[in-house]
Amino acid sequence: MKIAVVQFPGTNCEHETLVAARSAGLSGEIFRWNRPAEELSDFDGYIIPGGFSYQDRLRAGAIASKEPVMEALREEAELGKPIIGICNGFQILVESGLLPGLDGVNVALAQNVMVSKGEIVRRGFYCAWTTLRHESPPKRCSGSFLLEKGDLIRMPLAHAEGNLVTADERLMDRLNEENQVVFRYCSEQGEVDDEFPVNINGSLENIAGICNPEGNVLGMMPHPERSSFAFQLPPTDARKCVGDMGAAGPGRRVFESMKRYIEVRR
Amino acid sequence: MKINLRVWLKIPDAEAATVKNTLRRRMGYEAVLADLGKERLWSIEVDDDVRDPMDLARRLARELVNENKESYIATVDTIEFEEGYVPVKVGLHIEDGEAVSALNRLRNRLGFDMVRGVERSVVWKLALKSERPEKAAEEIAERLLINPHKDFYEIMT
Repeated sequence: MKIAVVQFPGTNCEHETLVAARSAGLSGEIFRWNRPAEELSDFDGYIIPGGFSYQDRLRAGAIASKEPVMEALREEAELGKPIIGICNGFQILVESGLLPGLDGVNVALAQNVMVSKGEIVRRGFYCAWTTLRHESPPKRCSGSFLLEKGDLIRMPLAHAEGNLVTADERLMDRLNEENQVVFRYCSEQGEVDDEFPVNINGSLENIAGICNPEGNVLGMMPHPERSSFAFQLPPTDARKCVGDMGAAGPGRRVFESMKRYIEVRR
Repeated sequence: MKINLRVWLKIPDAEAATVKNTLRRRMGYEAVLADLGKERLWSIEVDDDVRDPMDLARRLARELVNENKESYIATVDTIEFEEGYVPVKVGLHIEDGEAVSALNRLRNRLGFDMVRGVERSVVWKLALKSERPEKAAEEIAERLLINPHKDFYEIMT
């Protein structure tokens, strides 16, 4: 099972994403955006990692979404192959219309707005550990294939534009009805509160990750590759382990899910 | 009364170059888009009884413009653009945190009590080889310059 970690100019998480994918049993390589796009068909799945593609010029993800490699990824997605976009990768998938994958561009990832007790307490870039609650049924989505509904998963995030907004008043109903909301920000106990710091970026309905209607394309703002090993966990987490450098962290489940999804598709 | 500050980079604008390249090389506008420039536009609502608005504009520019790398033109109540391109104004229709911060900074930290409101936008200046340049500008705005779920655009001719 070979995956491509797609690198754009300004991507900066490609190496640790590949290491995390390998730790879950996947093989793969970093695929630069300017390679012949047709070479993508040699891979079983794709990850668009985090960073600042094209320096976030115009708006995050907008320029990368117009690259030929994205059109090739759209064709691979239509074949059912899994694609996971992490952070800037999620922004690129949104700008390309691959997520939520309905018709055109359906949402925007706007600047973070942290609201507490009715007041804006902070805006813009934020970096912190967060807890995600898995919202969709098991096997609904490639990147959470092995997770049960209600499972909690810890991982960090670091972004300025992850606040999911939409001008389509009916979109949220549709995403909820179709189980396209995959992850929500929640407290460590699993409670969803729409105020900061639980809703860490002001996203509509605490959304941290969504998938397309078919479930093979997932986008998420937090970074599973940064909690794929137990040694990466914060000192306050009882699961932190520095003795065994290969011990799994919670984020690895995302990559293990992708692997299992590919196995099941075969 | 509204003070408008049109601000542009003296140094090469890498963002404008990237947007131009994307439109020409990736989106099929090579024959249509001759050139593209970018300006930031601050529109600042101030009390009507300000005695010397151009002096106030200069003082506001000292706070909002970095003259080491940027130039600006200030106008009062009007905005005029040069001929030869279609100016497309892009702003947020959701709350603009940077504009809110600028308003708070000007009023509460820097003593500009006469400032009532601040709007921030970007003006993309599209030099177009088209019989219907405004139509082409609309298409470019909708295909690339905005995400309609957070941005609006306005053709300013």
